[in-house]
Amino acid sequence: MGKEMIAMLLAGGQGSRLYALTQKLAKPAVPFGGKYRIIDFPLSNCVNSGIDTVGILTQYQPLVLNEYIGNGQPWDLDRLNGGVHVLPPYQQASGSDWYKGTANAIYQNIAFIERYDPEYVIILSGDQICKQDYRDFLRFHKEKNAEFSVAVMEVPWEEASRFGLMVSDENDRITEFQEKPKNPKSNLASMGIYIFNWDILKKYLTEDEADPNSSNDFGNNIIPNLLRDGRRMYSYHFSGYWKDVGTISSLWEANMEVLDPENSGINLFDEDWKIFSRNSGMTGHKISKGAVVEDSMITDGCRVDGTVKHSVLFAGVKVEKGAVIEDAVVMGGSVIKAGAVVRHCIVAENVTIGAGAVVGAMPEGDSTGVATLGPGVTVGDGAHIGPNAMVSNDVEGGAEVC
Amino acid sequence: MLNSKTSALGIIFPNSYDATVPELANVRLMASIPFASRYRLIDFILSGMSNSGIDNISLLVNKNYHSLMDHLGSGREWDLVRKNGGLTLFPPNAEKTSLHYTGRISALESMVGFLRHQKEEYVVIADTNCAVNFDFKDLVETHAASGADITIAYNESEIPDGYLNLSGEGGFYYSYGLDNGRITKIYVNPTEEGTHNLSMNIFVIKRELLIEMVDVAFVRGLRYFERDVLLNSLDKLNVRGYKFDGYVARITSLQSFFNENMKLLDDANLNALFDAAPVYTKIRDDNPTRYIAGAKVENIMAADGCVIEGEVENSILFRGVKIEKGAKVKNCILMQDTVIKAGANIEYLITDKNVVVSDDKTMKGTDSYPIYITKNTTV
Repeated sequence: MGKEMIAMLLAGGQGSRLYALTQKLAKPAVPFGGKYRIIDFPLSNCVNSGIDTVGILTQYQPLVLNEYIGNGQPWDLDRLNGGVHVLPPYQQASGSDWYKGTANAIYQNIAFIERYDPEYVIILSGDQICKQDYRDFLRFHKEKNAEFSVAVMEVPWEEASRFGLMVSDENDRITEFQEKPKNPKSNLASMGIYIFNWDILKKYLTEDEADPNSSNDFGNNIIPNLLRDGRRMYSYHFSGYWKDVGTISSLWEANMEVLDPENSGINLFDEDWKIFSRNSGMTGHKISKGAVVEDSMITDGCRVDGTVKHSVLFAGVKVEKGAVIEDAVVMGGSVIKAGAVVRHCIVAENVTIGAGAVVGAMPEGDSTGVATLGPGVTVGDGAHIGPNAMVSNDVEGGAEVC
Repeated sequence: MLNSKTSALGIIFPNSYDATVPELANVRLMASIPFASRYRLIDFILSGMSNSGIDNISLLVNKNYHSLMDHLGSGREWDLVRKNGGLTLFPPNAEKTSLHYTGRISALESMVGFLRHQKEEYVVIADTNCAVNFDFKDLVETHAASGADITIAYNESEIPDGYLNLSGEGGFYYSYGLDNGRITKIYVNPTEEGTHNLSMNIFVIKRELLIEMVDVAFVRGLRYFERDVLLNSLDKLNVRGYKFDGYVARITSLQSFFNENMKLLDDANLNALFDAAPVYTKIRDDNPTRYIAGAKVENIMAADGCVIEGEVENSILFRGVKIEKGAKVKNCILMQDTVIKAGANIEYLITDKNVVVSDDKTMKGTDSYPIYITKNTTV
């Protein structure tokens, strides 16, 4: 029996704007919110929405991501029929190709989709933090008798020109698509989440592949072609929390918003919509005598002897006595030694910050930079890392990095 | 690692010493008593066996084992989902024997048929009232190298108060007199003050020998393996002691449950119990613990999923505990999903799962008499 809808999750992006964080890591594998990775959000949304078949399109630095996904068990996606499948580019009799674009990545996996004979395919993006019930989206798609639907968010008009915009009529039917226009005619930004009728998607992917001039991209090619042919295209208004965490500052911001679920709208404490993840398996965290913890999220395995304010600590972080962490995101396994001061920054996994070192600074005037330390970096004792620094290599004791 | 598998199967007695903690074992059994903020006691033995390459483990459950079944599921978290072996539950077979096992002999007898068909050379047997990070591989290797018939693990310890109060059915504990590693004396329920070679009730024995001993003992109507069988076999069998020098948290009463949890607030103890090898437990997919502005915490251990807005000191919080604004919690052990409402003030309390302490309520036990509140109670 065919599946009603399966999901294809685009997870091949390099995430070059996250610099040091994605040197060895695909963007969807970037840790988020204390115990998650970005990809946990779309995967959990799928499972919570009753989608049990997910293809993950990977290409860039897939090692960590592959290992993390494994057999899909943490998301309840280890299924006899369906489940999660990692789909890297592969060699075919006619030759081999990297995924040339988002559309080509799906095109190369038409055979995968056909195994499940779905009516609908939802295309998801692996670089967004969003809790969304895809069932509501599909209901909309069916009610409109659409061939293609795109989830859209209202954005402030002054920011609209940064997005791909859907112009639609009073019935939500899309009449025009503007990619980052100078003069926006709409403030409905595409979230990069699409539902296609499978027959339509297959037809347009095949046509697109045959076009040598195409960049094989959904936004640049597939959607304009659907519009050209007058297909039934609708925009589905989503009003929950949604954030593209493709930049250091937006990633930092989204982590800070997790600390304030009442106002930010991103609530990880939702029993009815759990976000699943692969577990660290560490003991409970400990906060010792004399430590200070305020307005923060702390995960299993942490040992806090210092001060932590308005920060997110991932599994197994150690904060030694006298160290101060403020407005910071500190990822798993990092050690902050005695007296170090870590502010307004992102510290990646397994970083060691030496005693008395200073990393980042609270914003002052025009300087709002989020200092970033890449995975595994060691910062020597007493070193200074400026608020705009992006550190991928070890820093010697006493050194200064701006 | 090609040779990481140990040629031993595991047998666990999850109900042993239930009677020592009647409060906690009322709705569950010893094996599923919560410990150290996110574990159940059985996690330690199961993880130890799993880490030692033992992946064929039988649980001789006697009663109250629903919570244990819920906790273990398929055994996946301990890497015990196996085509051959994995976890097997042996509840009492009401048709064949009585309604409950009456001792280790009748329990083991009920699975002798199973034992005959296994391939492992050795059997390791354990209770669950000790939280230990135990290397079963080393035990089996030491046993095999020594040429002993049976090897039993013990640690040097005083007799815990909880054991001294033991009485009635199966209320036995043992210590050993040793001569050059060989056990020459078994003391049943010793009471002398001072350090004993106190049994941890962790045994290793050849599978064939165990079957033989159980068959003979069952026919003779013997009940207790140590008291009725081992004690009288010391001259015939080579029974050796295996001294365990690692950290042992032995739960022998509600008071010791409280003390052993609290001891883990000392990093040295926590590291001693957990550093050697990972301890696995059921995954609940809780969010990280959230400390809301205004929270004040000092010297606590907390699992994921807590939301803390009040003041907490010297306490152990299990998964999903909520402490509301203005609440004060001191020297408490709060099990899963306990809610301490706004303005409540509690000290020396042990709350079982899903307990709610209402607004502005004050409740205080003492360090030698913590108050225990049963599962699902609203105070």
